[in-house]
Amino acid sequence: MQMPRGRYQGWYLVYATATYVSMALALWCVFVYVPTEKVQGIVQRIFYFHVSAALTMFLAFFVVCIASMMYLWKQTLWWDSMALGAAEIGVVFCTMVLITGPIWARPIWGVWWTWDPTLTLTLVLWLMYVAYLMLRADMSDAKRTRMAAILGIVGFVDVPLIRWSVEKWRTLHPKPVIVQEGGSTGLPPSMMLTFIISLTACVFLCFFLIRERVVLAQSRHALDGLRDEIENALGG
Amino acid sequence: MRSLWNRSTSIMSNSRLFVQQVLALLAKDLQTEWRTREMFISMFVFTILVVVVFNFAIGADPEAIRRLAPGVLWVALLFATVLGLQRAAQMESEEDCLQGVLLALGDRSALFIAKTAANMLYLTVVVVCALPLFSILFRIEMVAGIGALGVALLLGMLGLSTVGTLFAMLTVNTRTREVMLPLLFLPVSVPLTIAAVYATTDIIAGKGLADITDYLTLMGVFDLVFLVVAVLVFDYVVEE
Amino acid sequence: MGTDVMVHLAGVTKRFGNVWALRGIDLELPRGRCLSIFGPNGAGKTTLLKILSTLTRPSAGTVTIAGYDAVREGEKVRPLLGVLGHRTFLYGHLTGQENLRFYARMFGITGYAERAMEVLHAVGLEEHGRQLVRTYSRGMQQRLAIARTLLHRPSLLLLDEPYTGLDQQAIVRLQELLQQLHAAAHTIILSTHDLRLGLMLSDDIAIQCRGKMVYHGVATDLDALALEQIYFDYVK
Repeated sequence: MQMPRGRYQGWYLVYATATYVSMALALWCVFVYVPTEKVQGIVQRIFYFHVSAALTMFLAFFVVCIASMMYLWKQTLWWDSMALGAAEIGVVFCTMVLITGPIWARPIWGVWWTWDPTLTLTLVLWLMYVAYLMLRADMSDAKRTRMAAILGIVGFVDVPLIRWSVEKWRTLHPKPVIVQEGGSTGLPPSMMLTFIISLTACVFLCFFLIRERVVLAQSRHALDGLRDEIENALGG
Repeated sequence: MRSLWNRSTSIMSNSRLFVQQVLALLAKDLQTEWRTREMFISMFVFTILVVVVFNFAIGADPEAIRRLAPGVLWVALLFATVLGLQRAAQMESEEDCLQGVLLALGDRSALFIAKTAANMLYLTVVVVCALPLFSILFRIEMVAGIGALGVALLLGMLGLSTVGTLFAMLTVNTRTREVMLPLLFLPVSVPLTIAAVYATTDIIAGKGLADITDYLTLMGVFDLVFLVVAVLVFDYVVEE
Repeated sequence: MGTDVMVHLAGVTKRFGNVWALRGIDLELPRGRCLSIFGPNGAGKTTLLKILSTLTRPSAGTVTIAGYDAVREGEKVRPLLGVLGHRTFLYGHLTGQENLRFYARMFGITGYAERAMEVLHAVGLEEHGRQLVRTYSRGMQQRLAIARTLLHRPSLLLLDEPYTGLDQQAIVRLQELLQQLHAAAHTIILSTHDLRLGLMLSDDIAIQCRGKMVYHGVATDLDALALEQIYFDYVK
């Protein structure tokens, strides 16, 4: 077991700087640089973080799936910590999407909630991955990691199916009239640039947080291992 | 994780034993259920209960009731599935029978298939008994579209049983098992619920099989995907 | 596939999270010998038996039973094993006969109905065959569990604390049965708290403590008192 290096050295510095810089840049872009959108007004600025958070959320859940598969294959705890970290951060970003969605929807469409496909998909995913976290909290050590890994894989496999079904369902519900949702085509360059920067910032933040979470989980495991070794040495 | 190829070849070479084991497990489940009849009765009564309560909850407007009928039917089936599953998984945890069964099994997916089949059978019986009642209470003509309805119901129940059995075996050791199973099962089966409800709505409105192929495709894909995934991961679920 | 060595364990380790249940167990048992494993609660005896019965995989190490790798070739190993666990593995709502028939079918025994009656006779439960197992006494359930264990004529018997909860008469009966099986060249591994009974039956004895095999020797030169002395020496 290696001793942890100094807290603020090495790769940590690189990740942290990248994250801070990109987030600062994104904030500046969103609030200062990019012009106000004609139709929707100031509220439209949420779009950059809303969609970025959504894409980052998918990325995080994808990581959960891969990490779960790797855990079942290799049986090393690091992969399990990765799955847990990615799930937690994924749920955080998921919550952000679910909060920014209504904040954006209310002034524009007059309703707090629109059952648009992405938002609905996000809601179902939120329920699923919160259940994932609850499952982890609920089980005894021996089986917990394995069952959670299975859920992590099954859950992500379900995502395209949920998206497909929600889109089918959505076609039967009239969309609130007027405004486009600000899709990727038809965005002027300044907005596109801002979007890409905020997306990058979100992804960096996501990986930074996941990494911190994994380090925390690994430290906890190391502590448990040490404790066990001490008990064994004292007792034997 | 044994690859699908490996597994298929091994099942095919031991196919007689595999089938015999699935049938033995199925027979055992049905025999036990026949002795107590707990599961079937609770599933059936619960389904009727849901249907009746929804009737009151929706209000007096007959049009509203008719429109919401398919939704009510599938919600009732969802809950009935969860009810049946919890009991089925619990049956194996008394006296650790699951271990006894695992020791006798070569390929463990035989257990998964048997449990799924059993659950589907219970659901089918419940549906057959509840459908006439449903038709009367909601004043819906079902005879005309019974063929298409049968297909939709079959595909739907297969998906519910597959996903449900997987999660039931997964959560059998959790402390809050009764909560955990529906909590996991319901979000994951959203695609199935959506497709099933809309297919049923269309059938009741008079459309035939040809018109609802996209919903049936969705259900079919869902069923297939989860069947394959469940068989692949089942070893990990039942291992100690 | 005839080898002299029935069971071979090398470096078997089992970890649950960061808690070690087994630390590097090495064991070899020739065909036809009987081994008793003694040890306090929490020593990992049940875990070891679970690994031997292929219900669990070890975190590290190899397990070879009758020449087969128990981890990779589980389906070939399981038909050779007869396992008696803590619980009876019997279905309360079925009769004794139905339970045995079910397991006989599962093991793919031709003429399963006759075989079921045969073992029922062997454990002396033929009059109770048509009663629900729920109505059996603990001793009767244990006997039926043993019948279940013997259905498929296994060559290796694994018994986890078989004497627990039995009254004197049942213990004597069980002991007789085990001695018969031993004489018929079955290989037996049992774990128990009862030093005297284990010693009476076995060729080899082992003491397990905190996941390690701390003593392994031949039983013939020991009497109950000497064994007790050794036990308390090794188990602090």
